[in-house]
Amino acid sequence: MTEKLTLVSHVDAINWNRIQDDKDVEVWNRLTANFWLPEKVPLSGDVQSWATLTPEEQTLTMRVFTGLTLLDTIQGTVGAVSLIPDALTPHEEAVYTNIAFMESVHAKSYSSIFSTLCSTPEIDAAFRWSTENQNLQRKAQIVLDYYHGEDPLKRKVASTLLESFLFYSGFYLPMYWSSRAKLTNTADMIRLIIRDEAVHGYYIGYKFQKGLELESEARREELKDYTFSLLYDLYENEVQYTHDLYDGLGMAEDVKKFLHYNANKALMNLGYEALFPANVCDVSPAILSALSPNADENHDFFSGSGSSYVIGKHEETTDDDWDF
Amino acid sequence: MIDAPRTGMDYHSLNAMLNLYDAEGKIQFDKDREAAREYFLQHVNQNTVFFHSLKERLDYLVEKKYYEPEVLAQYDFTFIQALTERAYAKKFRFPTFLGAFKYYTSYTLKTFDGKRYLERYEDRVVMVALTLAAGDEGLATALVDEIVSGRFQPATPTFLNAGKAQRGEFVSCFLLRIEDNMESIGRSINSALQLSKRGGGVALSLSNIREAGAPIKHIENQSSGIIPVMKLLEDSFTYANQLGARQGAGAVYLSAHHPDIMKFLDTKRENADEKIRIKTLSLGVVVPDITFELARKNEEMYLFSPYDVERVYGVPFGDISITEKYDEMVDDARIRKTKISARQFFQTVAELQFESGYPYIVFEDTVNNANPVAGRINMSNLCSEILQVNTPSTFNEDLTYAETGKDISCNLGSMNIATAMDGGNLAQTVEIAVRGLTAVSTQSAIDAVPSIRYGNDRAHAIGLGQMNLHGYLGRERIHYGSEEGVDFTNIYFYTVLFHAIAASNTIAKEQGTAFEGFENSKYASGEFFDKYTEQEWVPATARVAEIFAEAGISIPTQDDWRELKAKVQKDGIFNQNLQAVPPTGSISYINNSTSSIHPIASRIEIRKEGKLGRVYYPAPFMDNDNLEYFQDAYEIGPEKIIDTYAAATQHVDQGLSLTLFFKDTATTRDINKAQIYAWRKGIKTIYYIRIRQMALEGTEVDGCVSCML
Repeated sequence: MTEKLTLVSHVDAINWNRIQDDKDVEVWNRLTANFWLPEKVPLSGDVQSWATLTPEEQTLTMRVFTGLTLLDTIQGTVGAVSLIPDALTPHEEAVYTNIAFMESVHAKSYSSIFSTLCSTPEIDAAFRWSTENQNLQRKAQIVLDYYHGEDPLKRKVASTLLESFLFYSGFYLPMYWSSRAKLTNTADMIRLIIRDEAVHGYYIGYKFQKGLELESEARREELKDYTFSLLYDLYENEVQYTHDLYDGLGMAEDVKKFLHYNANKALMNLGYEALFPANVCDVSPAILSALSPNADENHDFFSGSGSSYVIGKHEETTDDDWDF
Repeated sequence: MIDAPRTGMDYHSLNAMLNLYDAEGKIQFDKDREAAREYFLQHVNQNTVFFHSLKERLDYLVEKKYYEPEVLAQYDFTFIQALTERAYAKKFRFPTFLGAFKYYTSYTLKTFDGKRYLERYEDRVVMVALTLAAGDEGLATALVDEIVSGRFQPATPTFLNAGKAQRGEFVSCFLLRIEDNMESIGRSINSALQLSKRGGGVALSLSNIREAGAPIKHIENQSSGIIPVMKLLEDSFTYANQLGARQGAGAVYLSAHHPDIMKFLDTKRENADEKIRIKTLSLGVVVPDITFELARKNEEMYLFSPYDVERVYGVPFGDISITEKYDEMVDDARIRKTKISARQFFQTVAELQFESGYPYIVFEDTVNNANPVAGRINMSNLCSEILQVNTPSTFNEDLTYAETGKDISCNLGSMNIATAMDGGNLAQTVEIAVRGLTAVSTQSAIDAVPSIRYGNDRAHAIGLGQMNLHGYLGRERIHYGSEEGVDFTNIYFYTVLFHAIAASNTIAKEQGTAFEGFENSKYASGEFFDKYTEQEWVPATARVAEIFAEAGISIPTQDDWRELKAKVQKDGIFNQNLQAVPPTGSISYINNSTSSIHPIASRIEIRKEGKLGRVYYPAPFMDNDNLEYFQDAYEIGPEKIIDTYAAATQHVDQGLSLTLFFKDTATTRDINKAQIYAWRKGIKTIYYIRIRQMALEGTEVDGCVSCML
């Protein structure tokens, strides 16, 4: 990176007992409770399932994951960090540091999937594809440009679109596999990532709306135009990227519906109305239902670790509790 | 398999629509029924091999080595034909997509290339009945009736394997002791491999193994403790997983007072080092009463070196009652000991349960006080419902057995409470179930692990389970865990126990023998029956009395018990253990039941299994009008679940898999309070702890049934 990273110029000791925005604490608590590491998921359980995929399907899966790795790397090393200087409260800064770290965990977890399922030459080929694919590179470039731009609210828009929209062309595939009983442990891990990204996109979008409240009418108009035109840019590119990836297996149409659905979701997070009408958002119910990471999933010792456990809150028992 | 080209919705999508509300905010039950129908039209019917006649089918299947000829040879062909027609005449249909999908993916007989189906549901039932009845036409007919009507459902290994020429064992579940020597550890790893290969879940007790830092050959600080043994076991189960059709799965149990207990728990930490992290092995802790007493007084709890204890008492650590010997061991200078805070121990257990769902808990003294047969219970199994006595084996240097001890196997099968009540003849249903399970025991001979065979040949232990309690209560418009709900559970289990003992007594009389050690049991002394002859058990609520009267099911009286007691004291009972209530995963979907006697985890349950992917399952008997009776387990909360289980536990000789459900607002203290409550109410074991984290407001999937509170 050539330009100098902007750092916050002045720091006060952060006091978590003086909260300006309750959402900061709520999200902080949620994010820390959701902490996880890729080692938790028994990916090796997918080795057999991986072998049942055709070579084309394997290549597609690896390419999808290298694309996701790139986005998570951007978000971890540039995106979330670039939001820190614009934070409205010190607690918001702390939340961004958590987001940045978890994005790096996500980026690393794709490598865990690779090293469990694929050989080194295959992995290298997939990464080479990701550096050579124009649409993927363009996507990264668009987002990076905005992160390096001057406008803090535009940075948030870019970030929310990344978290809530751009990831999902990639997330589609593991959800598709899991609805077809393939790579189910990998899907568990992706669901953990989705669980995190859902909170990230929601939070950054919320902070965008908070920032918007302080702006003039004219500026709000400008930002809205900006958001929709950026979304169009990204959408067009994303459609190309989707065709590059999925055409070989004839899945591009359904993935596009999924893009519409998530684009609307990203706009909702930013406080805007939906762009795509419902009839082009009718994602296959199998995919939509597969997204929910809740504990209604009934798994047992025969079926992997699931995606619903959280880090607990400690509380000591008192003498009354033991009064028997 | 070849699927038909998509016309409109495919069955996967139709099924997934169950989890999405329709435009009026109603659950789309009809979509799931449509999914089940489409599954047959688009997939099953097109992929089922057609035969012109039963004769042609059976000849083909025997000739091509799909069916065991010995099973069929026990019967006349005309009988098999009549029995098959009888099964088909019941017009069985799968009410849910998951039931049909699960059956065809996991149970039915397929061609060797895995592409075509060779059995329909009725064919499988007939084959199971013919196998278990071993030539007894009356029993075969009765088994077909009970299974097709859904009143009795054998466990997966039995239902899956019976009658097939290429098959695994019929037994569900194995429990093995490990002693404190290298031969025993080595042999147990071999046993874990052998049993996993045959398709059973295996649990092992680590309590007897000396702690990290204990001496080896009197040289101090030599032993590396239990963690490396756990690693070896975990890898063994993973290996068996890669070869077999069903994944290998294992559990390990450890006494709360073993010096390595904290290290044992830490293997499940989120940030544990890779060298000690345990991913797929299930953990269980054996907790005696004294631990609760120490926590009550907020004192330290002592952990005792198994190496020293075995040298002082001459028996393995796991066979000592810690509650009884606690003070003595604390005062004995020959026993090395360390201490930790008892409350801290319980809090750590709760923390780990938050993070991983583990460990399971066995309340050691509750279990042993309720045990009717001689000996000690020091562990449970993979689902924490098997509770039986065991004895140690000793080995020669070449790992052959010097003295064969008793290890545990268990043959499971469950009754569907709703259909059993509807059937109106509980005595018959229980008797046929007990006979079916006993047949599994007498037909099993696991020679790969001699201690298992030795134990099974002498104990003939079975585990009759129950499922669909919540479905039944919901249909009858009774709230789970309400006064009526608990009352029903009590009287139902009370009645089942009576008939189970009566059936086992009849078998003992027919066979002319009881299980080994009957004469030293509380059945023989009559003590077991005191609870029933000296106290009257009747429904406490009018509603429950009415339910039983309407079903035409009579509730045993004190006189009935006196009569049964006399018969048992005369002829004994054939099965050392009779009941155990397993968590019932797969079979409850085929059988259209709610799992076990749990409340439902969700109105629309998401099921994930290796072979299935994500599939959605509606609670049986639930419709858009009776939703209020189908609250999920998180709303119902731990107390009502414990009350329900406590009512059942008092009539069950082994255990019941009890999962506790918490919302993510719970803290470790809430979990500890629930554990204390469970222990006080006489619960024997706790299985998983489940935490539900709801999507943060604003991030949930629109219109998703399972995302709503």
